[in-house]
Amino acid sequence: MMEEEEWSEEQQRFSYLQRLKAAVHYTVGCLCEEVASDKDMQFSKQTIAAISEVTFGQCENFAKDLEMFARHAKRSTINTEDVKLLARRSHSLLKYITEKNEDIAQLNLEKKAKKKKKLEDENRNSVESAEAGVEES
Amino acid sequence: MEETGAVFRKELVSKLLHLHFKDKKTKVSGDALQLVAELLKIFVVEAAIRSVRQAQAEGLAHVDVEQLEKVLPQLLLDF
Repeated sequence: MMEEEEWSEEQQRFSYLQRLKAAVHYTVGCLCEEVASDKDMQFSKQTIAAISEVTFGQCENFAKDLEMFARHAKRSTINTEDVKLLARRSHSLLKYITEKNEDIAQLNLEKKAKKKKKLEDENRNSVESAEAGVEES
Repeated sequence: MEETGAVFRKELVSKLLHLHFKDKKTKVSGDALQLVAELLKIFVVEAAIRSVRQAQAEGLAHVDVEQLEKVLPQLLLDF
């Protein structure tokens, strides 16, 4: 009985991994398609599958490094500084990632500002219509 | 480099990372997830573009695994 449970757990983990790999493969395929049409060069299916496998494997390195960086800084939450450390080996990569980080931070600030303004506008509108209602009655 | 359209979704990136964490308490901030998604995208695009350049240098009409194998070592070193 125990063996059956263990086997079923194994199967579940295996199919979870397969689903993740399939998801990675899909995105990799889309990205390769974009490069292919931009450079007017076709990729063989095996090449896309190989890039997908390498990418999946690279995630393991990233994850372990990120966890260690955060832990080294005595944190349990990985932040963008940890991610930037990942990109340290290539100067142009580090530069690109640093710029992207600033873009993301800027975008999030703008989103928050929009949200805050929207809430304020909604509050003001509801207060105004409430007051108007009171006056009419 | 022009902006490409496809992205790694945050949810997928989160699952991929959590798969390999040793500590259950380890978490990832939202911004960090977005940044890792960018990093993964560059990784894939670099692999693709470098393979294309290799195929072009060899005078080939399309990219096969052999071209990827040649560019992989340097790619991994750069990351």
